[in-house]
Amino acid sequence: MLEKPSVIKRYRLHVGTIAWILHRATGLLLVLYLMLHIWVIHHVSQGPAGFNKVMKAVQSPLFLFLEIGLLGCVLYHAFNGLRIIIVEFSREGVEAHKQIFAAMMAVAVFLFLVGGVPMFIHFLHVLAG
Amino acid sequence: MKFPRTSGGFYAWLFQRLTGILLVILLIIHFAITHNLPKGGEVTYALVAPRLATATWKVFDLTFLVCALFHGLNGVWMVVQDYVHSETAQAWIFYALCTLGLVLLVLGAITVIPFKA
Ligand code: HEM
Ligand code: HEM
Repeated sequence: MLEKPSVIKRYRLHVGTIAWILHRATGLLLVLYLMLHIWVIHHVSQGPAGFNKVMKAVQSPLFLFLEIGLLGCVLYHAFNGLRIIIVEFSREGVEAHKQIFAAMMAVAVFLFLVGGVPMFIHFLHVLAG
Repeated sequence: MKFPRTSGGFYAWLFQRLTGILLVILLIIHFAITHNLPKGGEVTYALVAPRLATATWKVFDLTFLVCALFHGLNGVWMVVQDYVHSETAQAWIFYALCTLGLVLLVLGAITVIPFKA
């Protein structure tokens, strides 16, 4: 590990740093989700009764709401990940990295609305009973 | 005990990117299909079973499973290397992650491969 030079009082939180922290955090959250998910989906081999029972538990209003957050994590991680790949692989990417970040986030937000709005409406329906 | 120290190096880096690109496509399809988007609705056995009984979706889900597990656990390994500096601890964590990956791979595969509606 490198020591922080003493002339540096404190680090500033640049957009790049925040982007990196979020990428790491969403990646780790997705791994946790994936482990639970594989176990939950395994119940499908128990037939309709077993599967529908566990799916009922993970489709309560609370979970439906959290799933919208999951979609957000997936989309941020996916499009920030693509940005990392593009910037690493192309010379132009390094020069235009701010525009590439903005474009990727725009696509992510668009897809978040396309997927998230119907999910939110479904959440409200279930909440209302 | 002396463990080999591996950063995975070039191939770990390359496959993290290749699986990442594949996962964008797989995940968007996965969300759209399982949530019945853009309509939205509940996920039930009646919806999932007929799909999972077809060879196409078995191949899709298995590809997805392999890519997501490799990418996710290789990602965790990258994070571990940033924060854990003891070689012995790194080696144990590496084998633990491999075991976890193998268990999840088997669990996911026995869900999908023999499934009949
Ligand atoms: C949807 C498409 C995805 C893309 C394009 C993508 C892309 C990437 C890239 C390029 C990296 C390397 C970052 C770096 O070297 O600094 C990365 C790291 C990572 N990804 Fe993904 N990823 C995707 C999906 C996933 C999924 C589904 C999971 C979880 C199962 C996941 C978990 C991780 C983790 C834990 C890391 C390590 C984070 C770090 O080192 O800070 N990713 N991803
Ligand atoms: C809330 C959103 C999600 C729902 C409702 C959902 C639902 C499902 C369902 C019903 C299946 C069974 C097979 C099928 O229908 O194709 C499945 C399988 C799978 N899902 Fe998801 N999923 C979601 C999000 C995710 C995410 C974010 C990931 C990646 C991190 C993921 C990874 C997988 C994998 C790898 C399989 C195959 C499992 C196996 O081989 O046993 N899913 N999912």
